[in-house]
Amino acid sequence: MATPLNHAAIEELLGAYALDAVDDDERDAVERHLAECPRCRAEVTEHREVAALLANAGLPAPDGLWDRLAGVLDAPPPQLALARIAPVRPRRRAVLGWAAAAAAAAVIAVLGVTAVDQNRRLNDTQAALRQNGLLRAALAASTSTGARHAELASPDGRVLASAVLLRDGTGFLVRDDLTPLPADRTYQLWGIIGGDKISLGLLGRHPGVVAFRAAGDVAGFAVTAERAGGAVAPTGTPVIAGAVRSA
Amino acid sequence: MDLRDLREASDAALVVAIGRWRQEALAEAYRRHAGAVFALSRRLLRDAALAEEVVQEVFLRLWHAPDRFDPERGSLRSYLLAQTHGRTVDLLRSETSRRQREERDARATAEAGYDLEHEVLDLSVAEHVRHAVAQLTSDERRAIELAYFGGHTYREVAALLDQPEGTVKSRIRAGLRRMRTTLADVGIAGAPWPLR
Repeated sequence: MATPLNHAAIEELLGAYALDAVDDDERDAVERHLAECPRCRAEVTEHREVAALLANAGLPAPDGLWDRLAGVLDAPPPQLALARIAPVRPRRRAVLGWAAAAAAAAVIAVLGVTAVDQNRRLNDTQAALRQNGLLRAALAASTSTGARHAELASPDGRVLASAVLLRDGTGFLVRDDLTPLPADRTYQLWGIIGGDKISLGLLGRHPGVVAFRAAGDVAGFAVTAERAGGAVAPTGTPVIAGAVRSA
Repeated sequence: MDLRDLREASDAALVVAIGRWRQEALAEAYRRHAGAVFALSRRLLRDAALAEEVVQEVFLRLWHAPDRFDPERGSLRSYLLAQTHGRTVDLLRSETSRRQREERDARATAEAGYDLEHEVLDLSVAEHVRHAVAQLTSDERRAIELAYFGGHTYREVAALLDQPEGTVKSRIRAGLRRMRTTLADVGIAGAPWPLR
């Protein structure tokens, strides 16, 4: 856990933070602060605008790259089959809510993980994803040492998304089948960390693969539907939720 | 919005269209900004193939989660470049050749240093940005160069320059603020948020 920094110490870090030049624990401390401090957010925005001017080299993008990118856009979102856990009785899933998302960890730890042909599935999936950097990163993450997984299920027990969490706090959420929201709404991802619900980011109204960072020991994930700007704390019950399984 | 309108649309309007799955809006955003995204990533990675991966990732992310861009919090370009920089630095820091890179950068700094002015090629603003860079002290300038174009943390910069960490941290912030003020004076950037 990062050492708590006071406001002045955070402010001193804002320039380096805007240039990605802080350590991981400092970045986490700054981001926690930014979530609550519009003044510091404004300063970071300014630093990034200046940095963008420095980087403003107007070279053309490489030939052919757009065509490759467009090719990926056309493909339907692949079903990324991360390892499934042994089925949990519907009745357990039915009570999945905030408390249950954390409590389910114990249940699932006992049930254990069924490593169902994971490698074969990943190979199949990989073939479909050759050009998608973020998905590839998610795939690489899902097989890396110490990676932990979570299945996020709706209250009626349908698994609608998978998450993978690396030791360094980098995570990926892979959408399987979330219903697109109206334009003024967004999905928001929450980590259950030390009993608190910490926002891990807005997912948009129709999430694809999303990368996020989590600081601390994440017991579970939940996704809520919020107003387009996001919420400081979840305003409703989770659309989907699930516990993080041990590595 | 037809194609000609897209050419003239604001970045914010493009992002709205991207949110409606208009691929040609993403193509226009790509046309405007992919060159800068690629150039920044390649500048840090010194590897065109890896930099292309970053370009793809950044634009795919814009495609899949356009509402992460908030037009009230800066321009689309600075948003995309911040994403690019963050992702690129992650790649750099995960490399095993980290120490080699640090040694190489230390050498480069000892020899001629980076040449920040030459990074800026957009002629419409280049002169002003060059002027803003010239207002920096040489210490501020080196600290920002090593952090932004070298991909180093301020602690690493401090070690490379053999200066106290707190000093380097302050110089990065003070330098960025001074450039902001200079650029605001000529109308390229808004005035900086006043320090308390």
